Amino acid sequence: MKDYEICIGLEVHAELNTQSKMYCSCPNLFGGEPNTRVCPVCIGLPGALPTLNETAVDYAVKMGHALKCTINKVSRQDRKNYFYPDLPKAYQISQADIPLCEKGHLEIITEKCSKTIGITRIHIEEDAGKLLHDSSCNDSLVDYNRCGVPLIEIVTEPDLRSSEEAYLFLNTIKNTLKYIGISDCKMQEGSIRCDVNVSVREKGTDELGTRCEMKNVNSFSAAVRGIEYEAKRQIEVLEAGGKILQETRRWDDVKGMSFVMRTKEDAQDYRFFPEPDLGWIVLEEERINMLKDTLPELPNEKLLRYTKIHGLPFTDASLLVEGLEKSRFYDECIALERCTSKNICNWILGDISKYINDTGSSLYDTPLTADKLVKLVYEVEKGTISNSAAKKVLGVIFDEGGEPDEIIERLGLVQNSDTESLKKLVDEVIKANEKSVNDYRNGKTNAMGYIVGQCMKASKGSANPAIVRELVAEILNER
Amino acid sequence: MDVKHIAKLARLKIEDDKIADFERDMEKIVAMIDGLPDNERDILTENVNPMSLREDRAVTDKFTRDELLANSPKVQSGCFAVPKTVE
Amino acid sequence: MKLNEMTISELSEMLRKRRCSATEILSDVKDRINETEGKIGAYISINDKAENSARKVDEAFAKGEELHPLAGIPVAVKDNISTRGLRTTCASKMLYNYIPPYNATVIDRLEKNSSVIIGKTNMDEFAMGSSTENSFFHITRNPHNTDYVSGGSSGGSSAAVAADEAIAALGSDTGGSVRQPASFCGTVGLKPTYGRVSRYGLIAFASSLEQIGTITKSVKDSAILLGAIAGYDRMDSTSSRISFPDYASNLNASVKGLRVGIAEEYFSDTVDDEVKNAVYSAIKELEANAAETVSISLAAKEFSISSYYIIASAEASSNLARYDGVKYGYRSKDYDGLTDMYEKTRSEGFGDEVKRRIMLGTFVLSSGYYEDYYRKAKLMQRKITAEFSDAFRKCDVIATPTTPTTAFRIGENTEDILKMYGSDVCTVAANIAGIPAISVPCGKNAMGLPIGLQLMGDRFAEQTLLNAAYGYERICGGFREVK
Repeated sequence: MKDYEICIGLEVHAELNTQSKMYCSCPNLFGGEPNTRVCPVCIGLPGALPTLNETAVDYAVKMGHALKCTINKVSRQDRKNYFYPDLPKAYQISQADIPLCEKGHLEIITEKCSKTIGITRIHIEEDAGKLLHDSSCNDSLVDYNRCGVPLIEIVTEPDLRSSEEAYLFLNTIKNTLKYIGISDCKMQEGSIRCDVNVSVREKGTDELGTRCEMKNVNSFSAAVRGIEYEAKRQIEVLEAGGKILQETRRWDDVKGMSFVMRTKEDAQDYRFFPEPDLGWIVLEEERINMLKDTLPELPNEKLLRYTKIHGLPFTDASLLVEGLEKSRFYDECIALERCTSKNICNWILGDISKYINDTGSSLYDTPLTADKLVKLVYEVEKGTISNSAAKKVLGVIFDEGGEPDEIIERLGLVQNSDTESLKKLVDEVIKANEKSVNDYRNGKTNAMGYIVGQCMKASKGSANPAIVRELVAEILNER
Repeated sequence: MDVKHIAKLARLKIEDDKIADFERDMEKIVAMIDGLPDNERDILTENVNPMSLREDRAVTDKFTRDELLANSPKVQSGCFAVPKTVE
Repeated sequence: MKLNEMTISELSEMLRKRRCSATEILSDVKDRINETEGKIGAYISINDKAENSARKVDEAFAKGEELHPLAGIPVAVKDNISTRGLRTTCASKMLYNYIPPYNATVIDRLEKNSSVIIGKTNMDEFAMGSSTENSFFHITRNPHNTDYVSGGSSGGSSAAVAADEAIAALGSDTGGSVRQPASFCGTVGLKPTYGRVSRYGLIAFASSLEQIGTITKSVKDSAILLGAIAGYDRMDSTSSRISFPDYASNLNASVKGLRVGIAEEYFSDTVDDEVKNAVYSAIKELEANAAETVSISLAAKEFSISSYYIIASAEASSNLARYDGVKYGYRSKDYDGLTDMYEKTRSEGFGDEVKRRIMLGTFVLSSGYYEDYYRKAKLMQRKITAEFSDAFRKCDVIATPTTPTTAFRIGENTEDILKMYGSDVCTVAANIAGIPAISVPCGKNAMGLPIGLQLMGDRFAEQTLLNAAYGYERICGGFREVK
C-alpha cells in the first residue's frame, strides 16, 4: 500500500449566547414548548423584515480577533436559497462574498510541538428550526423555536492532517469560545456542530485530492470517528484503482458509517444574492479596536504561560486550561505569590476537582477562595500541618466554610516540629523496640519504617514525620 | 432556457401541455433582458449606507402560539405538520 | 357634492367645524361602493370594523380632542399591506385565506391617526402586472371607461379613489405600480424615496425597489397622507433616519425659478403623440409660470427595463419561496410526499405571471448565469443612479410622461407579455435609482382617458416634488372633474 496523507478542513458552527435572536427580539434560549419562542420575523410571515442583532456582530468580531483574522470594516449579508420545512423563509440569511472576518489562524499545541491552522473566514448566519419525527404520526412536525438563533461559522483551510489534530483544533476552538464568553458550548444541546471535509493524497504530492463533505457530525468524538472512517474509505477506493467522487455524505454515528447524500451532479444551487432587506454592516475602526481590547487571555496563551513560565507539566497545564474556572482560580492563587505553582496546581486538579465533580457545583459557589487555599497550602509548605491534615481542613471548608488557621487550631492539626521534644519521643520508642532496631542493623531496612510509624503513633499523629524520620535514621545509623 | 430544470429549482410543476407556452414566453423575456453592457465596477462607486443595528434585548410574549399557528393548513401538537421528511 | 367626492383636506376641515361626521363620510363612501363596485371591482375585502372606527372618531371630536387631519378619513389599502385581523391576500389563491396577526407599520401609523381603513383593494397577483388583470379574484375596471384597465398593480387603489369609493388609498410601487394606475385613472400617485416609508408588513415582491405610496385626489392630500406614514421604523433596516418636513403645511404653489429637467429619451417614438403633446403642454404651462426648463441626458434609460426585470424577478423568486403550504395560505389537497406537496401547492397557488417571474428570477440567479444577468443589472443600477445624481445638479425635478400610452383595453395586452412590460418604461428608473416620483393628471386623450405627467425628484426631496406638483395643480385649477 502507498503512503497516504489525510487533508481535513472543518466548518464549525457555534451558537452565540446573545439575549435575543439574530434577526428578531425573540429570546435566544434552548428548547421550550414548540413554537413558543417565535414571532412574525423568525416564522417568516409575509411582510416581516429582519433587523440585525448588534451583539451577535460584536461576538463574531471578537472571535475574529481571537483567531487573528482581518476584520472587514464593510461587510454584507446574503440569502442562501433552498426549500426545506425547517427553513420558514426558504432562505437562510448568511454571508457569502464578504464575511465579517477572514484570513486568520489558530495554533494547535501538543506536548512536543505546535502547528498553525489557517482560518479562511468567520461569518454570521441564522440557525434553522427543528423537525420532530414521531412514529405514531404520519407527518413530520416543525418547531421553529431555534429559527434565527445566531450562529457563527468558522471555516478552516484544509490544514489538518489527522483525526487527532482535528479533535485538538475543535477543542481549542471550544475553549476559545468559552474564554471569550460568546457561546455556551453545550455539546448535548448542539451549540457546536461541524461539517468535515476530507480528502486523501499520496504523501509528497502538493495537490489536494478530491474531497467529500460530511454533514451531521454532532460531537468532537463523532468527528474523529467520521474522519477515520472517511479516510479509510477513500484510501480503499484509491487502492482498488477507483476514483474519489466529489459528494456530500451524511455521517451516521450509531452505525459508524457515512452515506451519500448528494453527488456533485445534483449539488444544490443555492442562488446566493445580497439580502435586500438589510444594509451594509459598517464597523468603525474604534469599535473594532475596542472589541479587541476586551479579549481575555486566550487558552493557547495561558497554556504557554503555564508550561513555559510556571514550569507546569504539559498535561497539568492542559487540564487547567480546559476548565475556565480552574484556571481562573489557579491564576488568583498564583497572584498571591506565597506558594509554588505546582503545589497549587496539584490541589486544584486533585482534591478540589474531585469535590467539584462529585457535587457538580461550580468552584465559585463553594466557600473556598483563592486566599483560603493559598493559606492552607502555605501551612503545608511550611510544615505546620501534614498533607493529610490539610485534606481534612479542605473538607471542613467545603462543608462549613471558615478560615484555614482557625480550623487547624480547632482540630489541633498543628504538627510537632520541635526537635528537642521529638528526640525524646524517638529515644523512648527506640528503647521499647529493641527487636526492630536489631532487625534494621541486620539488614532489614524496612524496619526503619516500622519505627517511624511507632513514633507517629506515640505522638498521636502530631509529630512532623519528616523530622521524625531524620531523627530515627540518625540514631539507627550512628551505632 | 431549460424551463423544466428552472421550474424544479423553484419547486414549480409546469403541466406538460403548458411547457411550450412557458418556453416561448420565457425565451422572449430572456431576449429582452439579454445584452446588458458590462459596466466597470471600479468607475461606479456603490452607495454604502450603514445600517442601524438592533440592541440585543429579548422581548417575550409578543404573540401567542395560537395566533402564529392560526393560518397554517395543518397543525398538530403545537407544530406545523408537513409530509414525513424521513422514512 | 357628496362627502365621498371630497378630498382629505376638505373633509378634515368640515369635521373640525362639525359640518359632517366621520360616520356620515363613511356612509357616503359605503353607498358609493354599493352603487359602483359591481362595475369597477376595486376591492377584495371590506373592513367590517370601519363603522366602529368612524364612531370612535366622532366620539373623540365630540369630546373636543385634537385629531390628525386623517382622523375619520376612509382610506383604502392595497391588499399586499398586512392588516391585523383583516384578510390580506396579495390577490393570490396562495393567500386567499391569510389573516395577518400583525399590522404593517403604515397601518399602525394610520390607526394612530384615527384613519378609517375602509377595505383592501384589488391588485395584480403579488403586485406583478400593469393592469390588475392578474388578480385571482376579479379584474378592476377603469372608472373613466369600464372597457379599459385601471392599470396596475395598484389598480384597485387607484380605481377606488377615481370612482370616489375611497377618499384616498395606499398602494405599493415596485416599478410604477402606484404611478401607472394613477395615470390611467386620473389620480395623483406618489412613490416616495426608497427608505422614506417603512416596508414592514408590506408583503414583499422586490424588496430593494418597492415603496408604499399614496393615491389621492389632490397633491395636498398626498402631502398629508405621506406625512402620516413616512419616517424611520426600527423594524425596517432599510428605512431612513433622515428627517423630513411637515409636507402639507410647507406646500408652496409657486413654480417661479423651478428648474424642470427634460430628457428626450423619455419622449421617444414609443410614446403616443397624444400623451407627448399633453406632457409638453403641461411643461409649457409651467414655463409660462416662470419655471425654467433644462435639457438633461438620461441615456441609461434604455437599459432600465432589463435591469428592472432582472433585479425584481431575482428578489421575487426568493421572496415568494416561503409560500410552500406549511405556515399559511393554500396547500394542495392531494400530494405524495414533501416535494410533491411543495410543487403542487406552488403550481396551483400561483398564477402564470407569478410563475414566469419566479422562473426568470431563479434563472438569473442560478449557477452560471448570475454574472451575466444579476451582476450586470446591479452595476447598471449604479450607473442609472449616478446619471440621476448628475441630472439633479442641473434641475430640481424631471418631467416625463408617466406611461407611453393611456389605459389599454381589457384583454388587449394579456397575450403580449413584452408590450405589458413596456408600459413600465417611464416609471422603473425611479425605482432603480430609489428616487421619489409623482404622477398627476395632465389632460385626456380623444377617448376621454386620462394622461399622466410624471415628475421625478432627487433622493428625499419629496417637498420639492410635491411643491412642483402642487404648483401645476394650481395652474390647472385643480384636478377635480365632474363625474
